[in-house]
Amino acid sequence: MSGLSAPIEISGLSKVFRQTTSGQSIVAIDQLTLRIDPGELVAIVGKTGCGKSTLFDLLIGLEHPTAGSITIGTKTPYDDFNAFRGKIATIFQQDRLFPWRSALDNVKLPLELIGIAEDVQQERAMTWLKRLGLEKFANAYPRELSGGMRQRVAIARAFAVQPEILLADESFSALDEVTANELRKTFVELAREFKSTAILITHQLEEAMAVGDRIVVFGKSATLLADIRMMDWDRADYPLLREGIQNTLQANAPDPRLRR
Amino acid sequence: MISSLPRETIISIVLFAVVWQIMSYLAPSLGIPAFAIPGLGRIAESLTKITPLDVAVTLGRVLLSLVVSFVIGLLVAVLMYLSGSVEKYLRPMVRILMAVPVVSWILFAVLWFKGVEFRIVFVLVVVCAPVFTVDALDNMREVSRDLKQMIRSFRPTPLQFFHKLMLPAITPGIITSWKITLSLAIRVVTIAELVGAVTGIGHQLSVAQELFSVADVFAWTLVLVILLFLLEALLVQLETRVLRWRA
Repeated sequence: MSGLSAPIEISGLSKVFRQTTSGQSIVAIDQLTLRIDPGELVAIVGKTGCGKSTLFDLLIGLEHPTAGSITIGTKTPYDDFNAFRGKIATIFQQDRLFPWRSALDNVKLPLELIGIAEDVQQERAMTWLKRLGLEKFANAYPRELSGGMRQRVAIARAFAVQPEILLADESFSALDEVTANELRKTFVELAREFKSTAILITHQLEEAMAVGDRIVVFGKSATLLADIRMMDWDRADYPLLREGIQNTLQANAPDPRLRR
Repeated sequence: MISSLPRETIISIVLFAVVWQIMSYLAPSLGIPAFAIPGLGRIAESLTKITPLDVAVTLGRVLLSLVVSFVIGLLVAVLMYLSGSVEKYLRPMVRILMAVPVVSWILFAVLWFKGVEFRIVFVLVVVCAPVFTVDALDNMREVSRDLKQMIRSFRPTPLQFFHKLMLPAITPGIITSWKITLSLAIRVVTIAELVGAVTGIGHQLSVAQELFSVADVFAWTLVLVILLFLLEALLVQLETRVLRWRA
């Protein structure tokens, strides 16, 4: 994996949805400005409905902003949609595997889409399944796998494409705690090993702290409440940090103790 | 094949045959002409005279028309799925086509076209294609939004989107649609062949009617029903094979 050479620049980003029935406007993201450097592992944490998933859709390029922009180098993921083919990969809350494809064929899917040779597809998909401990289940259909195994396949599918940017939306929150911890660890290891720029979106503070090198806290309409670099904090101060973020999430205003 | 049938089915068929035979025996004493309810022996004799060529011709017409209907139906469904405006214009037309009685289509075909084969294929296609369109469109709409979002995040080309996601996702619905249209086509082809065709099961039924041979009508109808059951069994086999991931 080559790693991303340019930062992700989010500048004055707003997204407003108009409800078709009532005609009311909903401001999902309001004037968000954020910079994510290449190779950073960022956890974005916020309550349900704070605009995290809208940001996820904008980062993937499936939505256009109402105002502002997201630029990666000189391109935007929504206007230059095809320029990011094979460069952005996603892991969703549910595994979203194709039920008619075996585990191996699911991992091969993004490789097929970017036109990689069949023998390379096979070899690379198998390598990733082995890496995630699923080589014996290569020919199993998703219905034959447990939730944790299916999510492993989804992780393999995302990494197989060797993306520069990895986006994960609540990817471990539907799993039991033991499996979730195990997969979070795998996710962090792989993201570090391949120097991917990884963004994990979550509503669980513990998860954000377990995964992120940097924690970005969102309030209503993705208002930036806190932007914390974990390296600035000693492990001994983590309880204080946790409490500060929790207070911030509750009060929807930054806790002064978070400033470093 | 018979051994694989449920016991109740075999009993019900045997019962029907016994009742038929009794009615055939009693018909003259009830004032019903003997030819109206021929005995099983007479029907068996008619079955031995079935001409395989006519069966093959009907089967060929049905399969060809279904393939053409499927291709047209699917293409129209894809166009309607891709464009809301196209759908707004085409949906009323598709509904009108579906509402027109088969007999009207046969009359139109006779009035509009000279070639018998073209008439039959036209009638079958115009009856079956809208069914494929409506079913395929409904199935495309029901494809999981999550799966669409997932594949779109990997930026497929429009062709890849259909080939990798939509087609496999709608396959179960398409197979169901084939089962429905197959039964529809078998019934429609018979009517279409009654008018003008010089080959096929419909034509043979017409000949039998002209000869007042109920035994022949019964025998050809039986062949038609068996043909339908065989084709349905093949579809079920295909379904089991293609959809093994659902087991």
